[in-house]
Parts: sequence; C-alpha cells; structure tokens
Amino acid sequence: MNPSRRPSSTLPPPPPGVDVTIESDPANIAAVRRAVEDLGRTAGLDERAVADLGLCVNEALANVIRHAYGGAAGRPIQIRAHWRDDALVVTIRDWGNGVNPASLPPKPYDPLEPGGLGLICLQKLLTEVAYVPQDNGMLLVMTQRRKSQSRPPHRPHGGDGGRNAPERGNE
Amino acid sequence: MSDVNSSGLDLVPTSRYDAAAKAVVASIRGEIDLHNSPELRGVLLELLAKHEPKRLILNLAQVPYMDSSAIAVLVEALQRIRKIGGRIFLTDLQPRVKGLLEIARLDSIFVVAKDENEALSKQ
Repeated sequence: MNPSRRPSSTLPPPPPGVDVTIESDPANIAAVRRAVEDLGRTAGLDERAVADLGLCVNEALANVIRHAYGGAAGRPIQIRAHWRDDALVVTIRDWGNGVNPASLPPKPYDPLEPGGLGLICLQKLLTEVAYVPQDNGMLLVMTQRRKSQSRPPHRPHGGDGGRNAPERGNE
Repeated sequence: MSDVNSSGLDLVPTSRYDAAAKAVVASIRGEIDLHNSPELRGVLLELLAKHEPKRLILNLAQVPYMDSSAIAVLVEALQRIRKIGGRIFLTDLQPRVKGLLEIARLDSIFVVAKDENEALSKQ
C-alpha cells in the first residue's frame, strides 16, 4: 500500500522533535535554545527543567563555537532532540577539534575568573551528560528527565553545593 | 539624577549618572548570550571609563535570560570597578538570571538589590 494514499487519520503522528543543522554563528544559539525549550514544555518538563535544559543547550553550543571550532564561523553543528521514554535527549554533533571537555585537567572553579561556568551548568543541571568522541569531532548527549524529582534538587547554598568538585578548563 | 542618556542600543536603552551618589544606573533589556554579550561589554566598560562611578547599578528587570558569556561580562566590569573602589549592584532579578548567578556563586559577590532605589540607598 502506498503510504501516501492512506487516510491521514490512520497515520501515526510524527514524533515530536528537533533536527536541525546550524552554522557556528552565535546569532544562531537563541533560536535552537528556544526550540528545545518549546519541545520540553510541550511534552511535560516542568518550567525549571525546561530552563535548565535551555541554558545547557546554549552553553554547549557556545562551547562548540568558541572551543571546538575556535571561533570560526560557518562550521556545521547538528542538533537533535527527541523524547525517549520519560526523558528528553538532546544531541549536539560538531566536526571540530575533538577535544573532550571531560578529559581536560581538573581546574578549581573561581567565580571571579573567566571560564568553567558552562560546563558546571551541564554537570549540575542535567540528569545525564556524556561526551562521545567521534572520528572527526564530538557528540554531546544531554538528557533531562520529565520527572524533575528524579534528579537531586539544585541547592547552590546547601552543603558545599559542589564547590569543591573539580571543574574542567573549558567554559 | 542627571545625564539621562538614550544609548540608541537595544540592549542598554538608557543610562544615567547620579553625580551626588557617584552612581551610574543602566537599564538592560533582552536576552543576553554569546551573540550580544560583546555589545553589553562595550557599553558597560565605556560607562565605567567615562564616569568612574562608585556604584554601577544594573536594572535587569527586562532581562529574562542570560548565559555564562553575560556573566563573564559582569565579572569583567566588577574587576574594573573594584580597581576604583566601586561596587556593582544588580536589581530586579528575573528567576533565570537569579538562578544562574547562584550557580556561578556570584549572588554574594555582586550586591543584589530589590530595585534601583534600594541600590542607591544601600550602604
């Protein structure tokens, strides 16, 4: 049967998601962030989780532009976001220098020195984050679960708030 | 309050200098990320160089969102104003901005005020 002749009512709805490739231009960051935030809202992430994920998408894209591509414009960044069970999974693929931020030497975070905050956001605000080295770049996989209680609440002033955790050199 | 300036910029639409309080009050507007944070940097550093204020009061009521590049600009401005014995006051924080300042552990380094009046009167 030709799928195009099936009644539209019998077709399953397309899975909600984001699949876009942008150029490494900071002007493109906000639109991608908003698209992922919208996807999170429509599928039930609470507003806090949406905000956290949006910030992390922003920071990850900025890191690709500034570090993986060394500020070069016009290089590709592929962003995909889709739901898997109760989690929104966002992948960011670049074809840059392939440096894995998670492998950089630990560097204590100093709020008055530049650098490091972007990675701290990824580490603190997402359910899971993983860098998957590729032959010709890097794949970042970020996961945010729908049930916000499945991750520990963010307490910037509770305990040490992760203050003593080693951070990485990238931003 | 004197010298109310319209900057002509979307990001920092107005700023004014209070000579008596040696304070610059600037309103910032819009989401700030890597795309436009260099513009914010230029404006803030120019205001600091021009007035050498003891207080730089940034009204963030119309800033629903900022990222780490904006935070870096604020920190650079803080380093500059500290050299002349000044402080930065952040007022009217929106939830996402407040949250990022907490993550960055800067909420106790900048002076956070409810509004411009509180920032002007705070010791």
